Amino acid sequence: MTGARGDICDVAVIGAGMAGMSAALFAAERGLSCIQVGNAGSLLFASGLLDFLGVHPVPERQLWQSPLEALAALGRDEPDHPLARLDADLIRSAFESFVTALGAAGLAYAPLGERNRKLFTSIGTIKTTYGVPRSMVAGVRVLEQRSPCLLVDFRGLREFSAAQIAATLGRNWPGLRQQRIEFPGYEAVPELYAAHLARALESGELRARTIARIKPLLGDARSLGVPAVLGLARASEVHAAFEAGLGLPVFEIPTMPTSVPGLRLRTALETVVSARGVLRRRQASVRGLSFGADAATITLELDGAAAGERVHARAVVLATGRFTGRGLTAERKQVRESILGLPVHQPASRAAWHQRDFLDPSGHAINRAGLLTDAAWRPLDAQGRPAWKRLYAVGSILAHQDWMRSKCGSGLAIATAWGAIEQVARDLRATATG
Amino acid sequence: MKYALFLGCKIPSQLPAYEASTRAVLGHLGVTLVDLRFDCCGYPARSYSRDAFVVAAARNLALAERAGLDLLTPCSCCFGSLRHAIRFLSEDAELRARVAQTLAAEGLTWSGSIGVEHLLPLLAREVGVAALAAAVRVPRSGLRVAAQYGCHALRPSDVSGIDNPIAPTMFETLIRVTGATPVDWPRRLDCCGDPLHEANAPLAGHMTRAKITDALESGAQALCSACPHCQLRFDAVQAGSTDPAIQTLLYTQLLGLALGLPAKSLGL
Amino acid sequence: MSTALFHPALYASLALCALGLAWRMSAWFRVRVGPDACTVTPWQRMVAALRGVAVALFGRRLFRVLGALVLDALLLRRLYANAKLRWLGHQLILVGFTLLLLMHALAALVSEKLFQGYQPTLEPYLFLRNLFGVMVLVGVGLLWFGRRRERSGFAQARAFLGAAFVALLGFVLVSGFLLEAHKIASPRAFYRMTEQYAGTTDAEQLKPLRALWASEFGVAFADLQQPIAADLVERGRELQRDACASCHAKPASAFVSYPLARLLAPVTGLMDAAGADTWLWYLHVFACLLGLASLPFTRFFHVLAAPISLLVDAAAPQRALSAQPYAIEARASQRALALDACVRCGICDERCSVALLARYLGNPDLLPSHKLIATGALAKGRLLRSGEEEHALRAAEGAFLCTDCGRCTSRCPVGLDLEDLWQAGRGDLAVAGLAPPAQWVQARPALAWAESLEAVPRQHGLAAPDAAFAPLSADRRSFSRCVQCQTCTNVCPVVAHSTDAEHGIDLTPQKVMNLLRLGLSDLALGSRMVWDCASCYQCQESCPEGVRVADIIYELRALAVRRLGSVRSRRQAA
Repeated sequence: MTGARGDICDVAVIGAGMAGMSAALFAAERGLSCIQVGNAGSLLFASGLLDFLGVHPVPERQLWQSPLEALAALGRDEPDHPLARLDADLIRSAFESFVTALGAAGLAYAPLGERNRKLFTSIGTIKTTYGVPRSMVAGVRVLEQRSPCLLVDFRGLREFSAAQIAATLGRNWPGLRQQRIEFPGYEAVPELYAAHLARALESGELRARTIARIKPLLGDARSLGVPAVLGLARASEVHAAFEAGLGLPVFEIPTMPTSVPGLRLRTALETVVSARGVLRRRQASVRGLSFGADAATITLELDGAAAGERVHARAVVLATGRFTGRGLTAERKQVRESILGLPVHQPASRAAWHQRDFLDPSGHAINRAGLLTDAAWRPLDAQGRPAWKRLYAVGSILAHQDWMRSKCGSGLAIATAWGAIEQVARDLRATATG
Repeated sequence: MKYALFLGCKIPSQLPAYEASTRAVLGHLGVTLVDLRFDCCGYPARSYSRDAFVVAAARNLALAERAGLDLLTPCSCCFGSLRHAIRFLSEDAELRARVAQTLAAEGLTWSGSIGVEHLLPLLAREVGVAALAAAVRVPRSGLRVAAQYGCHALRPSDVSGIDNPIAPTMFETLIRVTGATPVDWPRRLDCCGDPLHEANAPLAGHMTRAKITDALESGAQALCSACPHCQLRFDAVQAGSTDPAIQTLLYTQLLGLALGLPAKSLGL
Repeated sequence: MSTALFHPALYASLALCALGLAWRMSAWFRVRVGPDACTVTPWQRMVAALRGVAVALFGRRLFRVLGALVLDALLLRRLYANAKLRWLGHQLILVGFTLLLLMHALAALVSEKLFQGYQPTLEPYLFLRNLFGVMVLVGVGLLWFGRRRERSGFAQARAFLGAAFVALLGFVLVSGFLLEAHKIASPRAFYRMTEQYAGTTDAEQLKPLRALWASEFGVAFADLQQPIAADLVERGRELQRDACASCHAKPASAFVSYPLARLLAPVTGLMDAAGADTWLWYLHVFACLLGLASLPFTRFFHVLAAPISLLVDAAAPQRALSAQPYAIEARASQRALALDACVRCGICDERCSVALLARYLGNPDLLPSHKLIATGALAKGRLLRSGEEEHALRAAEGAFLCTDCGRCTSRCPVGLDLEDLWQAGRGDLAVAGLAPPAQWVQARPALAWAESLEAVPRQHGLAAPDAAFAPLSADRRSFSRCVQCQTCTNVCPVVAHSTDAEHGIDLTPQKVMNLLRLGLSDLALGSRMVWDCASCYQCQESCPEGVRVADIIYELRALAVRRLGSVRSRRQAA
């Protein structure tokens, strides 16, 4: 760990969602000392699938096979969209860097390539995404080929029903079968939880018993789909053991949040930043920022159990998210940025926040609210100037994007974090030499 | 470096080797330890009354404060309790007043001026990994060790937080410095089962056994603890069991051996 | 002086004492402390004890036993290590009393046999008797003082009997001194002696002797002319040499009784008239006999039990290796013996790890000295009698808050293995239905507890958690953020390992939080989840909303102890 209390670190990252973790990771990889505040709670709601850009334009819900082509179209139509401000190659190297780091922490992803992939979810819907964990990637080809496939689920695991998937997809997929089995050792437990099964499967004995229960059910199936419970810390090993033991491709099907893939992602990212020396203040929040008179450092005043603790940094990256991440606060009449009260780009009045129809395909104006930044990712003050010279904003707090409908959440987080940290490094270098 | 050594209840009576090895190792590394008349950290009272728990902890904190020394404990549970008491005292002014009244009867006060430190961060940060590396005489090369932090050294991180609670590295670093090899084991951050022993012994047994099995499956030759409760728990479950067993080792013993201290002085 | 009553009284006292001793000593084989002690019969225990004695006497441990006899039982080195002042007091009493007993009380059996011409009124016996008496008195004073200095804040349990016995001891000494003083001062005694040994009652003949005894031996003649002529005294000295000197030395060396005699001079006549020599003697002797007869029935039985306990401990396998406990036949007896060997000195209480908690919770039964008595009372069934419910609950709280730090054992001046006793006591409590909260709460389903709570007329303010007592569970903001995402449950090792129906848990952490959100915390209080929580803080660390799940669960426990505890004692009383 670097940066003992009282020291000045290079970067302070506020927020520990996908964007915050990416920023901390990239900063550490560039050799910047980094402190990161915030718990990684939102990562638990992640599916483990990394979206790049799936839909554009949003009102038409047009799905793209190639995220790069989608990006080009986005650039033409919405030049203010944060992703559109980044170079495609840069985004791809950010993704590469991100999954490489996860791989080192034991969370392997399939090679990224240039195309979006399609796989089916625990309720039988089709999901378009970009980065797919290795444990799920066999499901992509299975879905394409509609080859004979067995889905197995476990009695008591409520969030996952193989029967429902088979009912939804089975109409055009005659070779899709499903079976429900008892999870070994948990026969007497009425309600199962995915993470418990995942951890149980890390024990060699239980794993062998589970494989033994599934094997006789395979029949003519050429692949096996199971809920995403194949290990937590040892996911790759458990997955490999299943494929070896059963002699066919095995794929995990993403489950509803909060899910095992979410836990894996959180653990892997924490492992990655921890191993790279990022000082974490997980349960703290930031009460306020004050900018040093010397214009060289910024001081974060922490809240929560760390109340009273002060952290000094040369640069600050705001990755606090929108409403669920509490980066933005919706008040009666307007939306406010929570820590500094930065001006938020938003509809003129509350009446314009939402469309009349909640399911309106074009989404709601409030979901495009956020911070405006300059080209260097620095949020602007009321006068349109950077609020402070080394304060940066990344991820979903940025304006002009509706990541949920565009299917670009991970891409937005990873890419803007990459862009902003590159900028931070440049700016800090300039300070050091100048 | 000078600390008031807080041993808690378990170490002196049931794990004297931990006390001996802690004193031997820290003495060797130039850390001065002072003994004050400490009592129970308050832990057992927490299920009865938060106030009683805090009062018991605060008295210890106040004793250290009177001596002007930070507290150092090799027990993860005592560490958590004392840190929790500080948290409760800090966030609740009425509680603080009630506690102050009780402490005043003994002429003690708590103002929060002294800290509570765990053995692991003391070694990793205050003494420093580099200094430890320089002091190692007999590297424990080839020994594969599973690190057992003890829950309350890590969680909740806003109270104890000696390291990232989801992905800590400190203990592994401290193992590596002895020349031994830390193993990655999936259940390394799990509870050892000790606190559950009274309430539900079979369940506690499952938990302990799962950890031992996991450490063995992960290729560990020794289970290295930095908490007396974990160490005693592992030993108790393994005693009289025919299941595969793993050697248990206190971190201070592992380090002491690497420093070349005589095994006898480490309670081995 | 008539002593007709003496012998019947002596024999009665001896008989009572012997019977009492036999009864108390038989308890060492009868009383069962700990559930494991119920697996062996008194007969087996007696056999084990006899075998132990044989092994100790003829085995390698003999030297250890002899060492314990000298160092522990006689020199009290354990007491010396922990409380020097009290050690001094105790040694003064031990030495003073023993020597008084041998030299004075048992003079016919000891002194007269050992020392030719022994007379209590000769030197050095006059002086020594006073010295020994003073040693005892000073010793009692020191013990009392040492006691006062290190008070735990609680009255000593069953202090009355102890105090009464100390008072009796004091009375024996004071009456002894008074008797001696009166005998010195008494003219009546003088005349009786002169008649007997000088063979005369003639006043004129006795005049010089009277002069001498008045001026130098402290006899308080009411009718003596003052000042006393010096030649008369000199003449008396001759008579004294012939008639008295072989039995009487000058009493001035009786440095307590002699001054006391001078002090009593004005009333000596009255006392003589009232026959004080007789009744003072009776008081003194009967107080002694009363002490003898009651010794087995007070805590001063420890004068016998403590040394025996020390010797047994020395003869037993070493305790340091208590991981392999030795035979229960022997341990069961040792526990019962420990109940008697405890001196009630309270030294264990001084450094008890939870002494502060005892004071704070107002529960003396956390303290070892009190706990020992409660353990004994439970073993003998007294704690389970009606009317003792409150005490029984207090004792259970004390037993289960003990941290087993072992300081009491390491400080005990009579070397009792208190840890073993506590463990046995906890077993007895559990058998008696006085288990720790984690067990008694879980003995009923959460729903049953909630129903019981509902049946209790709600006092104002009890329904909602007390804000000061359980601030997090009282404050909606601390759990209203919960979005029921199940992360806490997913990371909970207790739920994960809860795979068999019998020992499984009922609610998951997230359901407990939901009950709080719904205002149904009563339903959570008795839940297995709350009591089986390992307090590992995985839930709290992982909660995406920052809910302090584990902290809240701790609060629910404290609330359950308080609220379910009141329902429980009501049920027990009913």
